[in-house]
Amino acid sequence: MAAAALKALVPPILHSSAHDSEPKANSQTNGQQQPQSSSPPPSNNAESVQYDRAQEWKPPQPSPVSLSEIAKTTDFGHSSQLRPDDFTLLKTLGTGTFARVWLAKLAHAEPAEEERVYALKVLRKVDVIRLKQVEHVRNERNVLAKVAGHPFITTMVASFQDYDSLYMLLDYCPGGEVFSYLRRARRFNEPTSQFYAAEICLILEFLHEHEGIAYRDLKPENILIDADGHLKLVDFGFAKKIDSRETYTLCGTPEYLAPEVIRNTGHGTAVDWWAFGILIYEFLVGQPPFWDQNPMRIYEQIVEGNIRFPSAMTPDARSLISGLCTVDVSKRLGNISGGAATVKFHPWFRNIDWDALYHRKSKGPIIPHLRGPADTRNFDDYEPEAKNRPAYSDELRNRYDEAFKDF
Amino acid sequence: MVFSFALDPFSVSQTFKGRNMMMYLLVKNRVWGVILEAAQFRFALADKHQDPLQFCANFFNDRLASERSAHLAQQPPHSSSSGMSSGGIHSVAEEDEHIASPTSASFPSNARALPTMSSSSPFGGFAGFDPTGHAKNVASDDPTPLPNNYNLNRRTSVSAESLTPTSANNDNWTPPNHPKAPEQIDRLRKAVSTNFLFAHLAEEQATQVLGALQEKPIPKPGMRVITQGDVGDYFYVVESGDFDIYVNPSGQLEPGPDGMGNKVANVGTGGSFGELALMYNAPRAATVVSTQPSTLWALDRVTFRRILMDAAFARRRMYEGFLAEVPLLESLESYERSKIADALETIKYPAGSSVISQGEKGEDFFILEAGTAEVYKEGDPTCLKTYTKGDYFGELALLNDAPRAASVIAKTDVKVAKLGKDGFTRLLGNLEGIMRRNDYNTAGTVDPLHKA
Repeated sequence: MAAAALKALVPPILHSSAHDSEPKANSQTNGQQQPQSSSPPPSNNAESVQYDRAQEWKPPQPSPVSLSEIAKTTDFGHSSQLRPDDFTLLKTLGTGTFARVWLAKLAHAEPAEEERVYALKVLRKVDVIRLKQVEHVRNERNVLAKVAGHPFITTMVASFQDYDSLYMLLDYCPGGEVFSYLRRARRFNEPTSQFYAAEICLILEFLHEHEGIAYRDLKPENILIDADGHLKLVDFGFAKKIDSRETYTLCGTPEYLAPEVIRNTGHGTAVDWWAFGILIYEFLVGQPPFWDQNPMRIYEQIVEGNIRFPSAMTPDARSLISGLCTVDVSKRLGNISGGAATVKFHPWFRNIDWDALYHRKSKGPIIPHLRGPADTRNFDDYEPEAKNRPAYSDELRNRYDEAFKDF
Repeated sequence: MVFSFALDPFSVSQTFKGRNMMMYLLVKNRVWGVILEAAQFRFALADKHQDPLQFCANFFNDRLASERSAHLAQQPPHSSSSGMSSGGIHSVAEEDEHIASPTSASFPSNARALPTMSSSSPFGGFAGFDPTGHAKNVASDDPTPLPNNYNLNRRTSVSAESLTPTSANNDNWTPPNHPKAPEQIDRLRKAVSTNFLFAHLAEEQATQVLGALQEKPIPKPGMRVITQGDVGDYFYVVESGDFDIYVNPSGQLEPGPDGMGNKVANVGTGGSFGELALMYNAPRAATVVSTQPSTLWALDRVTFRRILMDAAFARRRMYEGFLAEVPLLESLESYERSKIADALETIKYPAGSSVISQGEKGEDFFILEAGTAEVYKEGDPTCLKTYTKGDYFGELALLNDAPRAASVIAKTDVKVAKLGKDGFTRLLGNLEGIMRRNDYNTAGTVDPLHKA
C-alpha cells in the first residue's frame, strides 16, 4: 500500500531515473523532461561502464531537464497516505539542531522498489516550535516542492507528518558532503574548485532568477556529491521566496553570513552571492576568510569586509571572490545588472562550458567510491538520538498544528 | 553537535579539540587518498583517453612534477613559518605542513612509501572535468597556512526569531523607552561605542536603542546574571558594580563547587557582556556572577533587531515611494525600485551650500529627504522653484551627462538621498533601455530629451 501511494506521488522521472540507465526511458513522462537541446546523450557513458564498473553498481543517469520545464514541476501534494512505519530506518546520515536525516527504505516495497533507498528527514515538532523555526520549516517544504527536478538540487519525493514529527522524503545522494572531501583534502585545486563553484552558480541562477528564492545557508556541509561526482544542494531550511521585498530574519552559518544580515538592514538573494564568494575561498584555501574563536569578532570582520588572500591565489580567483564578497550590495557581483550571467562570464570560469555542465555531460572531479545504491561509507557516524526528549503535547498541538497542515 | 562558535564574550582555546581532529584526519586522509586516487585514475583512464599508454606517461610525469614542486616549496629558505606573526600558528598549521612534507623527520616513516598522499594536490587535476586541460596545481600548492587555528568541525547553522516589520502588519509596536538622565545616556553611549553592532547605527536608532535599555538591579554579590550553556536573550552594560566571568571547558555550568569552571575575566563599571545574544539565540559561552551589589542595563535581542529592522524598512519604503513618483523611472518594476534603494546614499548639506551647481556635469540624481532647497539660475537672484521633502531633482543625469541647467541651494540644513548614474546603471542597466520597455506609454508624458 505504501509503495503504491508513493508511486502515485512521485513524478515519473524519479521512478524511471532510479532504475533505468537509459536516458530515453524518460521520454514517456508526458514530455516534461525533454532535454533543452536535441544534442545526443554524452558519448562516454558506455565506455566508462565497460572499463570501470563491471562489478559495481551503475549510478543512475538522470536525464537532462530544462529550466523552464522544472519551473512547471510544482505539483507536489502533501501526503497523508504515507506514514513513518512505511519506512525502515537504516542509518543516520546527518543531524541538525531540530532534525535528523535517515537513510531509509520502504518497509513493504514492491519488488521493483525493494532496493530503492531514500533520505528521510525527520523534524520533531516540539523542537521546531521551541527553536521558533515553524516558519522556516514551512518555507523549506514549500521551496523543496517547487524546485524538485533541478539537476543539482536534492529532489523531495514526498512530505508527510504524524502526531509529533514532520517528514520529508528525499532522494538519497550517496557521495556524502563536499565538506568531508574538502576537510580530508585540506583544500581543492583550482579546476576542482571551478567545477563545483560553477555548478553552485547554476543553482543560484535558477533559485534567484527563476524562482525568486534566496537559499541563505550556502556552505560545504550542505552540498552533497552524487554518484557521478555532480553536486546536490540539500537543506533548504532557510530558503525563502523573496518577492520584490527584502527580508530580515537573521539566519545562516556564522562564517558565511553577509554583512547586511548582521546589520539587519534587510537582505535578499544577494546574500547567496556573498556566501558563494566565501565558499570559493574556502574551497581554495581550506578555511573561510573571516574567522575568530569569538563569533562577534567574525561578524566585525565581515562588516568591514577586508579579505586577505594567500599569496598563491590567482588574480582571477581574487577578483571573483572580491567581486562577490563586496559589502555594498549595489556593487556585489551577481546582484548587479546581468545577475548570475556576470558571474558566469567572470574570467575565473573561462574554462567552463555552462551548457555541457548543466546537462551533466562529463563526470565530476571526485567520483565517490560506492558498493551499491545504499552505501553509506561517505557519511560520518552520528550519536544515537538522545532519550527522554520533551514530547509533543495536545496543548502544543492545539496551538501550533494548524501551521503544519500543509505538510 | 558541537557549538564551536558559542564563545561569547570570551573565547576558549579549541586547540586540544583541533589537534585530535587533525590526527584523525591525518590517518583518515591517507586511507582515503589511496582509494580516491586509485578510483580516479581508473576513471580518468577510462573516460578521457584513447591512448592509455600515453595517458599513463603524462599522468606520472605530472605527478612527479607536482610532487617535486611541493617538495621544493617546503625547503629553506622558503620556510612558511618565517613570515608569520608569532602566536597564532597552532595545531592545524603545523600538522598541515607535515602532511605536505614527506621528508619531515616527524612524519611517520611509512609516508615515504606513499608519496602520492601529499595533501597539496588532493584530487589533483588529472581527473578534471576539462578533458583537454592538464593538471595545474595552482592555489592548492600553496603551503602557507593562515595564522589562526581554524576549527575544522562541521558548522552549525544559526537563526534568530522570525521578524516582520511593524509597518508591514499594522501592529503599533514602538520600542520600549526607559527614561534616563542625560549623563546616564552619555555613559551608555560610551560603553557601547566600541561594539561594532552599535557603531553603525544612525543617530535616531542609537537614541532608540539606548532608550530601550532597561535597568536591572543586582542587589547582592554572588548572583548569576548569565549561566553558561543557557539560552542567551539579553545583552548587558554594567552601570555600576563588578562581575566575574567563568568558563567551564565542558561548555556548560555543572553542579558542584567548581561547576562554573575557571575565572577568565572581570568586568566593572562601563563594561558590557553577552552581545552575541543580540544576534541570535546561541548558548551562553560563560557564566557571569556579581561580586558586589551592582546595577546593569539590559537589552533584549528582539527589541534591538526590531529597532534596526523597522528603521531600515521605513527608509526603504520611503525611497520606493519617492522613486515611484519620478516619471522618468515609471517603467521600473517594483523589485527594481526596491533594488535601487540599496544604492541610495544619504548625504547631508548645511544651509547655504549647493547640492547641484549650474554648468557642472550631471552625474547624480537626488531625492530630498528632509529640509528645503531652492533652484537658481546663474545671474538671476529669483528663486525659480522650492523643493521640500519627497521632491527630487537632477534625474536627467541618469540619462546623459549634460551640464546642469540650474543650481540647487540648500535653504535649510538638508538631507538628500543620492543615486549616481553609475550606481543606477550598475544595478539595473541603461535607463534608456529600461524606458524603451514601454515606450508608447511614456512617450506622451515624458520626453526627457526635450524637457531640458
